[in-house]
Amino acid sequence: MSYELSRRQVLGVFGAVGATFALASCAGPGSTGGAITATGPSAPLTGTPSGKVSFAHWRAEDKDVFDELGKRWAAEIADVSFTQDITTSNDYNAQGLQKIRGSNVGDAFASFRGAQFASMADAGIYTDLSATAAAAAFVPSLLTAGTLNKQTLGLPYQVVFPMPVSNLDAFDKANAESAPKDWDSFLGSCEALKTGGYVPMAWPGGDVGNAGQLFNCMVANNAPAEDACAQIEIGTLKVTDDWFIAMLKQYQELVPYMQDNAQGTAVEAVQNMFVQQQAAMLVTGSYHISAIRALGAKFPVDLIFPSTNASGKTANYEGVYNATFILGVNAASEVQPAAYSWIEFLSRPENAAYYADNTAQHVAVAGVEYSDPDLVKLSPWLDKRTMLAARFQFENLDVRNAVEATAIAVVGGASPEEAAESAQLIVDQNLR
Amino acid sequence: MTKTLNDDGAPAERTLLAPSKKSRPPKKKAGRKSPMRVHPALWLFPMPAVILLVIFMAMPTLQAFHYAITDWNGYSATFNYVGVDNFVRAFTGDILFMNAVTNNVKYMLVVVIVQTIVSLVLSLMLVRNTRGGIVLRALFFFPTILSSVSVAFIWRFIYDPNFGLLNSFLGAIGLEQFQGAYLGDPAQAIYWVALVQIWAHSGQMMVVFVAGLQAIPAELYEAAELDGANRRQRFTTITWPLLAPATAIVVAYTTIQSFKAFDLILGIAGNPPKSSVDIISTRIYTTFANTDFGYAAAQSVIFMLLIVLITVLQRRVLRLTQKQE
Repeated sequence: MSYELSRRQVLGVFGAVGATFALASCAGPGSTGGAITATGPSAPLTGTPSGKVSFAHWRAEDKDVFDELGKRWAAEIADVSFTQDITTSNDYNAQGLQKIRGSNVGDAFASFRGAQFASMADAGIYTDLSATAAAAAFVPSLLTAGTLNKQTLGLPYQVVFPMPVSNLDAFDKANAESAPKDWDSFLGSCEALKTGGYVPMAWPGGDVGNAGQLFNCMVANNAPAEDACAQIEIGTLKVTDDWFIAMLKQYQELVPYMQDNAQGTAVEAVQNMFVQQQAAMLVTGSYHISAIRALGAKFPVDLIFPSTNASGKTANYEGVYNATFILGVNAASEVQPAAYSWIEFLSRPENAAYYADNTAQHVAVAGVEYSDPDLVKLSPWLDKRTMLAARFQFENLDVRNAVEATAIAVVGGASPEEAAESAQLIVDQNLR
Repeated sequence: MTKTLNDDGAPAERTLLAPSKKSRPPKKKAGRKSPMRVHPALWLFPMPAVILLVIFMAMPTLQAFHYAITDWNGYSATFNYVGVDNFVRAFTGDILFMNAVTNNVKYMLVVVIVQTIVSLVLSLMLVRNTRGGIVLRALFFFPTILSSVSVAFIWRFIYDPNFGLLNSFLGAIGLEQFQGAYLGDPAQAIYWVALVQIWAHSGQMMVVFVAGLQAIPAELYEAAELDGANRRQRFTTITWPLLAPATAIVVAYTTIQSFKAFDLILGIAGNPPKSSVDIISTRIYTTFANTDFGYAAAQSVIFMLLIVLITVLQRRVLRLTQKQE
């Protein structure tokens, strides 16, 4: 028997197979996740919770706490089990949407406020939690970050204060005002700290994400509108406007009070400066308090707001906060009742308190009694007139990075006008 | 044209550039007259590899070309075909992409030139298989086996302006005037990252050069020595020409490596990196994260074509250097 195949026949077979795959590759990109219906997202399915719930998030440091809560939840409800799918925050920010929309992971999931929440909502991943018991357990004013078109799609679980953390011992020793009411008194505090031998402000200019937290404080009382960052993104405000340049000039005034070469300093370094009491303020946010305690800081801490208002003028805001780690139920989940049950479980005050105390983060659930000393100390900030962190109004990451980079450039020695013009070019090219 | 003598002493003309047709081996006739005498079942054996290659390599590549002409955002069921708009945008309307290309070219030039020189010098010093040479080779090779992320974190610490080893060292020896912000200096940051790449991979390239050096026959050096050639002459007339293939491999590998320094950049500068250290691969990643899939796919296609172009150029250089031998 002859098995002769000519080269032409072989090439023909390979060509046909190749053409099939090529055609398959040319199938249009499309959606496999939840889709937005004409009426918008619908409420999560009700019924008896059962099945294995995958909880997707980025906070590896909270794994043990969620594991414990997951055990408690599974002990309470028969036929459910719990697993965590944790991705690093960088990767979660970049790929979270793609991972979750396939619904292989993330029956319940968390999202960042801002760009990620917006695109996840746009992708139709969320169910509508508006009329649920879980949403009712939250402080209503703190639900804004998870609300879109009057529907509560996500429940912002954490409340963080992206404001400088102050070493109260250092302020006492330097006789510096720990609660300045305006810009001049804030600079006065910095001067007193500097005279007292401290680096007043340890700012991680080498870390874009953490460096941007100060931007929230600087914008709060400088911006002409509450949604100024959103307006910059759509082009109705510009970073070359006077208010923005004035804000950058205030950044310039802070340079003598920051560590040398602040624009290149990593976040780990500023944490160490703060813990070793070389620096009196850690210019990141309350979310770093657990880290500095872990590094051995024993001194009492509080938050300090660099209010940019002129003396004699009342500030619009006394601080800034962010409501993040937005919990949602995946619209494409096959175990939706169980996924909702998990979110509802987290929303109970006793469970939220357990989470808060063990992660040193405030939560947006109403009626939570904190026992962690730092959380207790910082709790008054929950009742102050604070602004929802402005930087997360940006939905385009390139725009956000460009705008925030102006501050880093100015601290590095660039002129405010030049830095603003460079950033405006990038904002302009992203206007659609 | 050069003139040589035939066996009978008569001059014969030949060209170095175009060998005579007579010297070419006869072409094999291919096509239908060359049947493949194999059992058809044998064609099944490479199929698993072919299928994996097609699914995980060929199809995503084709899909990238397809997505590159759309405005797909990465999750919607709908999208529009935009033709070459994404490519036009990359080259004419995107400051950040062009900045990434510029950074990448700077990065590549520094890494390719310095890393090649450093690894060549190291290999010349450590080519002998003495005990000390072997230990030192292992030591210089060691950074290669570290993960890029570990390398990035080590150097983040070294470069930190306040707690970093570099500034501390400069301060300790009284050279405070040379202390700097390193990664915080937009004009210098990309070069400081390039230095990390050079540190991490010079040892690897040194091994390639050592292999090349050890393949050079010792008789050539002995003959040159007898002829009175000094060290420099021996290097320029023997070592360097015969090391050309190894050099071409090192340069090609280093070039591609410089374009793919994604993990090192993200590890050392965070995600997203500052624009001063943003290279093409990190820019593509940011564009994907920005739910701009169509445009990110177009950037990926440009990136791929750029690497293909450079690889082709380098293969030609390699071929030229081999011809010269």
